[in-house]
Amino acid sequence: MSSDAAIRTGAIPERLLEPPLTEGVVTPGSLDDQVLAFPDRRPPKQWYIGLAITLTALVIGFGFIGYTIATGIGVWGNNSPVFWAFDIINFVFWVGIGHAGTLISAILFLFRKRWRNAIARFAEAMTIFAVMCAGIFPLIHVGRPWLAFWLFPYPNQRGVWTNFRSPLLWDVFAVSTYFSVSLMFWFLGLVPDIASMRDRTTSKVRKTIYTVLSLGWRGAASHWQHYEKAYLLLAGLATGLVLSVHSVVSFDFATSVVPGWHMTIFPPYFVAGAIFAGFSMVVIVLVVVRETMQLKNLITIRHLDVMNKVILGMSCLMGYSYIMEGFTAWYSMNEYLHHTFMNIISGTYGWAGWLTISCNIFIPQLLWFKKCRTSYFWMIFVALAVTVGMWFERFVIIVISLHQDYLPSAWRIYKPTMVDFGVLLGSFGLFFTLVLLFARVLPVIATTEVKAILPGAQPSHHGDDHE
Amino acid sequence: MSQQNRSTTNLLRGTLAIGAVGVVAAFLKAGPERFWANWLLWFVLLFTVGVGSLFIVALEHLVNAKWSVPIRRIPERIATLLIPVVPIGLLAIGALPVLFPGTRPEALHNKILAGKAFWLSLPFVSVRTVIVLALLILGLVVLVGGSLKQDQTRDPAFNIRARKFAPAFMAIFALAITLVAFDWISGLTPEWYSDIFGVYLFAGAFLGGLAATSLAVLHLKDQDRLEGVRKDHLYNLGGFLFAFTVFWSYIGFAQYMLMWYANLPDEVIYFQTRLTGGWHVVTVMLAFLHFVMPFFALVTRDAKGDGSRLRRVAYLMLAAHILDIYWLIFPILPGGPHFSWPEASFALLFLSGAILWVRGALQKGEDMPVGDPFLKEGLEFRL
Amino acid sequence: MSSGKSFAVLGLFDTPDALMGAIPQVGAKKLGALEAYTPYPLHGIDDALERRRSPLGGMVLVMGILGAITAFGFEYWISAIDYPIVTGGKAPSSWEAFVPIMFEVTVLFATFTAGLGMLLLLNKLPFFGHPVLSSDAIKAITRDRFALAIESEGEGFDAEAAKAALLAAGATQIEVLPEPDRGPFLTSDYILRVAGGIFAACVVAGLAMYGAVKLFPVLPPMSHMEDQPRLNAQKADPFFKDGFGMRMPVAGTVARGYLPLGVASQDEAASLVNPLPSSPQVLAAGKKIFHNRCELCHGALGNGVPTLTAAYGAKPANLQAQQFRDYPDGKIFWAITMGKNAMPSHAADLTETQRWEVVHYVRALQRAQNATDEDVKEAGTR
Repeated sequence: MSSDAAIRTGAIPERLLEPPLTEGVVTPGSLDDQVLAFPDRRPPKQWYIGLAITLTALVIGFGFIGYTIATGIGVWGNNSPVFWAFDIINFVFWVGIGHAGTLISAILFLFRKRWRNAIARFAEAMTIFAVMCAGIFPLIHVGRPWLAFWLFPYPNQRGVWTNFRSPLLWDVFAVSTYFSVSLMFWFLGLVPDIASMRDRTTSKVRKTIYTVLSLGWRGAASHWQHYEKAYLLLAGLATGLVLSVHSVVSFDFATSVVPGWHMTIFPPYFVAGAIFAGFSMVVIVLVVVRETMQLKNLITIRHLDVMNKVILGMSCLMGYSYIMEGFTAWYSMNEYLHHTFMNIISGTYGWAGWLTISCNIFIPQLLWFKKCRTSYFWMIFVALAVTVGMWFERFVIIVISLHQDYLPSAWRIYKPTMVDFGVLLGSFGLFFTLVLLFARVLPVIATTEVKAILPGAQPSHHGDDHE
Repeated sequence: MSQQNRSTTNLLRGTLAIGAVGVVAAFLKAGPERFWANWLLWFVLLFTVGVGSLFIVALEHLVNAKWSVPIRRIPERIATLLIPVVPIGLLAIGALPVLFPGTRPEALHNKILAGKAFWLSLPFVSVRTVIVLALLILGLVVLVGGSLKQDQTRDPAFNIRARKFAPAFMAIFALAITLVAFDWISGLTPEWYSDIFGVYLFAGAFLGGLAATSLAVLHLKDQDRLEGVRKDHLYNLGGFLFAFTVFWSYIGFAQYMLMWYANLPDEVIYFQTRLTGGWHVVTVMLAFLHFVMPFFALVTRDAKGDGSRLRRVAYLMLAAHILDIYWLIFPILPGGPHFSWPEASFALLFLSGAILWVRGALQKGEDMPVGDPFLKEGLEFRL
Repeated sequence: MSSGKSFAVLGLFDTPDALMGAIPQVGAKKLGALEAYTPYPLHGIDDALERRRSPLGGMVLVMGILGAITAFGFEYWISAIDYPIVTGGKAPSSWEAFVPIMFEVTVLFATFTAGLGMLLLLNKLPFFGHPVLSSDAIKAITRDRFALAIESEGEGFDAEAAKAALLAAGATQIEVLPEPDRGPFLTSDYILRVAGGIFAACVVAGLAMYGAVKLFPVLPPMSHMEDQPRLNAQKADPFFKDGFGMRMPVAGTVARGYLPLGVASQDEAASLVNPLPSSPQVLAAGKKIFHNRCELCHGALGNGVPTLTAAYGAKPANLQAQQFRDYPDGKIFWAITMGKNAMPSHAADLTETQRWEVVHYVRALQRAQNATDEDVKEAGTR
């Protein structure tokens, strides 16, 4: 019925066309010269300044962590009934940041969104660093971190097993699986790129390191075949995993009966929030990377535009969740739920509630305008707002719900201490130190993947495609 | 071919007539609760399939997907089911005083219900339903009507308009599916609440739309009416079906597990009803038909692109979706799961009616959106 | 060409189309196994090289299912069989709680199979001895050029013919490669063996530990609170001759606040004197107790007309009867303490003081019901 003649063939209006994924002339060779050359060059002055700042934060933070471990977690502001505070807020915050990387590398890969290729590597690296930051907090929160291995079920001389019905144990499994899988995904993607670096470096030391790291990758077609299959499978598995990890984190709260925690919408809502926060962090870092590392032709404004659209979409999903939360607080006619919800918008910490709502719902609405999606000022403004907003969202969930629960005699105000802030600063220091180091020593763009989508990179039509 | 077509149409008309007789008999004999529960089941079912299909169309415009352009006409046609859903939905208001405790005067004596009596009252529920249906018809006119017009005009301005409208439609969609979930299903047990419930119904609706779309695509392909639609397109349909099977199970399990774990009496009663007596069997069946079977049927890469397997899974998924809605609504009737001649008559009437409607819609006009500038790119789609 | 024998001939091509064009040309001559080396994966090259499909998908599926079964089985065995403890009011075998970890372990098994299976088993990487790695062409291959190699399939490899074939197919550069160096350094086999050894050692150590603690508790190294060297109250214990864990008090022991009355019968109790004054506070306290405990049977007025219906068989005493009005305080006190007829003892519930308070109140009731003119006058003067 619809032969080719019937199909519309006229020119497609420009508004409907998508801009190209790279600007200017990019060839596989020029790509290597541009991206893989960084590690061989001396870093610019700004890099050292940046590293000095982040290292300072790192040292301060780890000082506070050392102090906490030596003294005990009484040095934090946690009290009864606010037994969870900054430690768990930061944990959830950082795990959430990590989700953007997996989303970009896995879910968008399955959807064949090719714009992901240029930014996937950085996002994956950020996943790994963020999960490392996240791991610190439960570790120091257990109080005796040197005994943290007790969390794993292994036959031991104590004659006891772990409690598999505890959501906190689920967390141990979810986060450690997430870290291992992300690391493997990231490393597999790096192998061909490191092989390229191995073959172009002139330094002997580097060559040896790269040789070992690239595992002797030689680009054989038979290897690529299994490699692509593995990559596809990993993407599929990581997609399920990314949904499960933040859902399991949300189970820490939602399986309880604490009003404000026990909500069935928590699992998907946490996942959406995680992607939301993670994308904002990726936007912030990408803008800096793009400017300082002269990658404007590879990470184009279009990439940022699409990222901002995803942020906008996630913001709307968050809005839906907030509305449902408020609606349920009323619809359930449950006085405890109602009380908790009123606390969010008008209690002692009402300012935090409104800050969360403004930063996560109102400010990102700016991204409806293309001008904001493509302007550095506005996108950074929104991304910073979202980062702040998502941190405070976890503050709202954890502190507000805990500080006033069923028992009015136990109500208590929570105040963080210097140590709390110090450890938070340290986690940011760790994260950005790792990001800076990564940008210097490893290829920040998955050159192999970008090469494969350059114009003319694939053979002209083959096989059974056309008659 | 057309001979066979005509005989199928006659057969469907026959079953429609039998079903109609049965439904009238059910109205007279089976008691109002049973009659309206059945009516509600088919209202929600046709609504979800229609709105799920419209969601597929809007999603394509929202994310600028190209691969689905050649098959877009099919969900567009199925989405026209929303037109008969309007009278069915308006008639369903008759179920409110019968099945919904919130509309009865006794509700004012119940502390929980009295607080939200206005929300649950018959006039307000009716107004909300009318608004929801009107908004969806608006979406149908813009997205489907515009696309049909484009066949003649070949004007790419429609694509620009549809892309602009798609985000607005998503808001309408979220509102519609949430309100229907809360008003028409959750409202049957108004003391019970779950804030994920809208998302749960969304997952089911999207699956219902996908399954109906897949079946219609395969049906048209059998008649060689979708030239150029290849295994690659089927693979994507299969992939979506697989992904959302997992998503539905994820939402369903999370909702159940959280309530089971917290064990609060006002929440857990919902599953208590469904996990005791005859309903336990239905629940296990639902988990099996809606998750285990389609999951393992589609998990391998080959399975997703295999037309005959996709057809079987799509049939299974539609059946499981009906079971899902049945499982949501029917436990309010006392005395375990009912299945007898009233249910069969309703199924005959509404299934034959819906198939006749979609078949009729698919006979009209072009089988592909021939005016869409991206049709060529969509046909060239390769994995 | 260290070994002198050539292993493969490699030709470089500039574009993917050139490579794809060369593959059928060279393949038709059947000079050896064909292998392509490319900087990134090319679409359709697997079909052109007639590769079999990657078995990785099946491996991952099998290992994923195995992971799910392992995790669920392990959780179930631990929680329901080996160490069944009820936590959070959940049954030991509650499957719902095992699902999250089951899912994570499934993903873990599957991803490790996909990643490490691909590298170690299918691609046999790491391998540092392959001649392509030390060839001149490798720099171009990992950058932007495409190589086609004809590799020796045993004896009778004709390097010259291979060269000619590649040149004819349009290769821009030709290189002859030597045999691979099969040195033992860090190969995939070595890694697999080491990893397998470590895994086996872990399993053995785990089983040994489990066995030592659970089955042969010869050494209880860290039993903590499990095992305490003390006698348990209420339990039999062979330590003492009488076989009880708990000791009896010494004869004549008196509990604090419970001095014996020193009288043996109700008649003897007549000698007891109410130690409390008949003050309004005492009467109020006595009234409350009487109201809570006595009124049900004896009636609000103490006249034996109870609020409890006749359904209760016993006949409660009418305290207004002359017999009881003549009772000394001590005998009433005795009745409350020891019980009488159907009335149980209240000694366990009421302290001695409370009992005396009740006695005062009963006296007040009796006097109120049989009030004389003097009493009324006295009340009027108050």
